[in-house]
Amino acid sequence: MNGTKATLGRDIGRMLEALAGLIVVTAIVALVWGEFYVVPALAVSAAIPFGVGYALTTLFADAEDPGKLHGMMVAASGWFAVALFGSLPFLLVAWTAELDPALLSVPSSARTTTLAAFTKPLNAFFESMSGFTGTGLTMTDNEEVLPRTLQWWRSFIEWVGGVGVIVLTTAILARPGSGSLTLYESEARSEKIHPSIVSTVRTIWWIFVLFTFVSITLLWLAGMPIWGAINHGMTGLATGGFSITDNSIATYDSVAIDFALLPIMTLGSIAFPIHFLILRGDLKNFYTDLQTRWVLGGFTLGSAFLWALVYFGGTYGSAFTALRYGLFQFVSAMSCTGFQTAVSSTNVALGNWTAAAQLTVTGGMVVGAAAGSTVGGIKLIRLATLIKGIQHRISDVFYPASAVRRLEIDGRRLDEREARREFEEAGIIAVLWVAFLTVAMFVLLLVLPMGEYTLENVIFEVASAQGNVGLSAGITGPSMPDLGKVMFLFNMWIGRLEIIPVLVLLRAIFKRGGVYR
Amino acid sequence: MNVERIPLIGQVLESGADDRVLDGLLLSGPVVVALIVLAGRNLLTEGIAVTYLLVFVAYVAYLSLQRT
Repeated sequence: MNGTKATLGRDIGRMLEALAGLIVVTAIVALVWGEFYVVPALAVSAAIPFGVGYALTTLFADAEDPGKLHGMMVAASGWFAVALFGSLPFLLVAWTAELDPALLSVPSSARTTTLAAFTKPLNAFFESMSGFTGTGLTMTDNEEVLPRTLQWWRSFIEWVGGVGVIVLTTAILARPGSGSLTLYESEARSEKIHPSIVSTVRTIWWIFVLFTFVSITLLWLAGMPIWGAINHGMTGLATGGFSITDNSIATYDSVAIDFALLPIMTLGSIAFPIHFLILRGDLKNFYTDLQTRWVLGGFTLGSAFLWALVYFGGTYGSAFTALRYGLFQFVSAMSCTGFQTAVSSTNVALGNWTAAAQLTVTGGMVVGAAAGSTVGGIKLIRLATLIKGIQHRISDVFYPASAVRRLEIDGRRLDEREARREFEEAGIIAVLWVAFLTVAMFVLLLVLPMGEYTLENVIFEVASAQGNVGLSAGITGPSMPDLGKVMFLFNMWIGRLEIIPVLVLLRAIFKRGGVYR
Repeated sequence: MNVERIPLIGQVLESGADDRVLDGLLLSGPVVVALIVLAGRNLLTEGIAVTYLLVFVAYVAYLSLQRT
């Protein structure tokens, strides 16, 4: 166990050092916006993870490379630690405004109830976990009044979390070798662009940064102010969904902006190795790659179905309005972005859509898009494996026992053993996904005030949290019961890491603590 | 002077798709955004932003045509 502790300590330490770097970058934004009163809070927020990280990496400098078990434990505990320490800017900036020290001249406009919500550590931790996991559910009731620095911090952590904390750490603090590959795979990634893992993560960042500038420019040209374009370009591409406006994208109430965000969310839903090939001119991957084909097909079919439900169901009076909201909300859900255009101030809020429409959006959130992209959910490749695996098993009955059959998924021909392993893995994830959704549903039904929300509202919200989506039927907010917040923290955490690494970590902790034998 | 030796630029060129036009788009991205931030919305900045997007889309289409 000492070896495990050392490996865990060293790798978590590196992640915390990288986190400190992110906070330092954010201090530049504070200086540019003239929000000098947040700088001491940011300095302390950066110093704490850096100090802890430095101590851990120094103490365990000679730790062994992580094996598969260690990799999963590092991923689970590392993401938890990063979200925990990443809550410090929220907490400390909120307390700075609350205590209002004369020396810092906090402007009166900064002392809002929205910011005051972060003086509660649980709210700050929730916001940070929601950001890093790319969920987008929020503890703020009006993002517009937050200091620009915290608006940026929310967007920035979603942007980094979309690609992955470990991917970031590997890219910056490059450590070639099998250890990096194990960690990379533990963060719900498996595809490689180059033989070297360090080159792969650097190329992922290269693609991501290029697409970020393209997204920002596109949103600005569509009419979004530049600060909004920078933040929404980052969170849209990362399929995170945090907004800097009170009513998410509905605030702009612009058809051009709604439609400009569709390709951005779609880019975030396609696996990075496919982007790499497309950027080299290999456009045929849009239809030859199974997941990309299914992403585009899923967006089209799901949106068409949702359009029919909200148009013929009478939610919207005109076919175009139904198309505008149906298309946007389905792509936002299945890409796990969570931007919202259907809110009560401009039209019919999502929480008031028909049960069938809400459950269609929920379906998109549960499935998600392509593995190897920035999205959450079960992922299309697993859905494909489950569907093809079930077909394969059923058709087995019609063949003689001696027949040698292969299962073909995404151009790979799997023999019986490989097919069983992949089918089993997809089945386990799907079952665990539904199991944790059910647990969260029960918890929410227990803690929410009786009769305030419908069952479809609850299913919708839970699927949104675990799928790292961020669409809300109105349940999540600072006034949500604490037990509900804790449940959602867990859902967001397991959703981002695809459950197994978190269960491995918890098993190790319980076993060591004597709870589990 | 070899641009690949400049620290940040060297890393960008090394990490990408071995394509100088795409590398150029990535490196000019911050300049375009900074220009928009500083100059605001006017004909010149809109022209630059449209050009940036057109170059990106047209170049990927051109690469695709070259491969077919």
